[in-house]
Amino acid sequence: MEENIVSRRKIWEENVLEPHLKEKPERRRRFKNDLGHEIDRLYTPEDLKKFDFNYLKDLGFPGEYPFTRGHSPNMYRSEPPILRVYSGFGTPQQSNQRFKRLVSLGAEEIQVAVDLPTQVGYDSDHLMSTGEVGKVGVAINSLHDMEELFKDIPLNQLKRVGMLGNSFGPIALAFFIALGEKQGLSTDEYRVDLQNDILKEYVARGTFIYPIEPSVKLTTDVVAYCIDHMPHWNPLSACVNHINGGGSGSSAGTAFALKNAQHYIDDLLNRGYQIDQIAPMISMFLDDRDDVFCEIANLRATRKVWAEIIRSKYGATNPDAMGLKITAYGHGRETLQEPLNNIVRIALGTLGYFFGGAHSLYNGSYDEAASTPTEESVKVAIRTQQIIYNELGLSHTIDPLGGSYYLENLTCNIEQDIKAWMSEVDDQGGPLSVIDNGFISKVMTEGAIRRQKEFNQKDRVSVGVNILKDPEYKNESKPFRVDPNVERKMIDSLNVVKNKRSQVKVTKCLEELKEAALSGENLVPTTLNAVREYATIGEITDVLKSVYGEYKQKPSF
Amino acid sequence: MKKTRVLVGKIGLDGHDVGAKVVAAALRDAGMEVIYTGLRQTPHNIVNTAIQEDVDAIGISILSGSHIPLITKLVEVLKEEEAEDIKVIVGGVIPEEDIQHLLSIGTHKVFPSESEMNDIIECFQSLTRETSDNG
Repeated sequence: MEENIVSRRKIWEENVLEPHLKEKPERRRRFKNDLGHEIDRLYTPEDLKKFDFNYLKDLGFPGEYPFTRGHSPNMYRSEPPILRVYSGFGTPQQSNQRFKRLVSLGAEEIQVAVDLPTQVGYDSDHLMSTGEVGKVGVAINSLHDMEELFKDIPLNQLKRVGMLGNSFGPIALAFFIALGEKQGLSTDEYRVDLQNDILKEYVARGTFIYPIEPSVKLTTDVVAYCIDHMPHWNPLSACVNHINGGGSGSSAGTAFALKNAQHYIDDLLNRGYQIDQIAPMISMFLDDRDDVFCEIANLRATRKVWAEIIRSKYGATNPDAMGLKITAYGHGRETLQEPLNNIVRIALGTLGYFFGGAHSLYNGSYDEAASTPTEESVKVAIRTQQIIYNELGLSHTIDPLGGSYYLENLTCNIEQDIKAWMSEVDDQGGPLSVIDNGFISKVMTEGAIRRQKEFNQKDRVSVGVNILKDPEYKNESKPFRVDPNVERKMIDSLNVVKNKRSQVKVTKCLEELKEAALSGENLVPTTLNAVREYATIGEITDVLKSVYGEYKQKPSF
Repeated sequence: MKKTRVLVGKIGLDGHDVGAKVVAAALRDAGMEVIYTGLRQTPHNIVNTAIQEDVDAIGISILSGSHIPLITKLVEVLKEEEAEDIKVIVGGVIPEEDIQHLLSIGTHKVFPSESEMNDIIECFQSLTRETSDNG
């Protein structure tokens, strides 16, 4: 019989491996990843046969269908991933100082972290805002705060700028248009990048305001307005991060986010836009923080699945529509104990996204498990990305791990998993049904409980926490503290703005906004007029609540 | 023996509910009766539900850094309603130096991230009241 890999492997297992294992048995009963795949001890070309793996069909060339190896033809040999920071705390003036420091260190994109009241449409003086103003992000009430936030930071000096704005996309977009006007810039001169993905908020993160359908309209209003007026902006990023963090697992989370993206696409097609206009506006925020190889494989598989859907299902011909741009947040499972160890976790997690071909990258700060990061820890985060790009030979070639038997096997597996989860969503009636019937929440909660059990049983380990604890460890870290007077300062400043603006104009703008909401037209123009007159987030949100009502969550666990 | 009745809740605007749900499920699996409030509760909502449901303890998860003002208010409302016998347990992202403060204002126990689940379960179990003061 002719010798092949299968027969040779069998001989190796019998003659070489087995005697070795008798002396040195395996250290674990099972090797498996967070997605439940059993990991084999060794992968060979044989393993790819079951997927009918073919280089041209499955990988191709970067910047070309199916985009597995990268969204652009020359990837990091031309340009590093955009170095993003997610930052903001306290008052706009306090955050402005931090922003300037981050830009001086090399941050290329600022994603403004806003506080929870802002995220759910309350001004700083609302009863529900008590105790929350300026925590987890900067407090923003009106355009005035945006002007202070970006004082002496011209928007065109950044590669991109944005905020999440998941539940208030039109306000977030209007803020950046109006801020550009104040800075004397035309919208051609800078680029805005919003998350604006409301659907995942109903299952993770929880910053919803209105019922689902009008909220989806607000999201797609923003995309539609950008297609019409700022086609180089990035108005929507479909997120996996929070769904996976909530327990879904990265493949299920990716499938849910892809179905959410398809829901927005279908809505925009119904409004008369073309797929070749819509798809380039959408990026994805992917996540796997458990396994670096799963990260890399997930990014490659997701680009491939996206390209296939956009071409085959929607008939796109524009390469920009088919080549998915991916954002990721480089980290592992950061721990509160022994925080400096997180520098290593974050570096390795970031490296995974780098190898996976992310288009833009955030990364965590080592003290972020405890509080808003200190300036020192954010500097380390920025330097981590810069070291990965500039040192150690990590950026010289495109998709450097492509062709690894293990990685290609995992990429094929993850592609199959994502497609299977997407079919499950379809079978249950689509993305809105699986939010409403509790399916996504169930998958997430079960996954979170499974992870906790694995952690308790030490099948899931954190060095220094559930294994290898340092008997001499003492928590001596000083968490970052937000200025305790921020709430008072924000309320004072809000009152000053309200006294200075023309109340007549604000009232008129808010009436026009209400009419636009009732008539169903795109709400960006009327929101923009209100923002220009310094109407507050709370005022605009109250108008829309009076038209749309509020979302009531069904609590379950 | 009476089953321990627990209210697990999210107070304030923080939408990160994984920890609350995982703890709620672990307490249920340990044989307790668990009521989960969902997001965006006010201190008044929490106290009213706790009294209506006649729970032994309230578990609050906060990751947003707003624990001091929100728990201070919660404890105040419990006093106003003369329901201080319902113990308050706080979990989430709580810096070491805030734990003493929370205990000093009347929190029964604080479990920062990375606490052992068994310790959390034991703590809630120890708070079972044999007879209800409200019923």
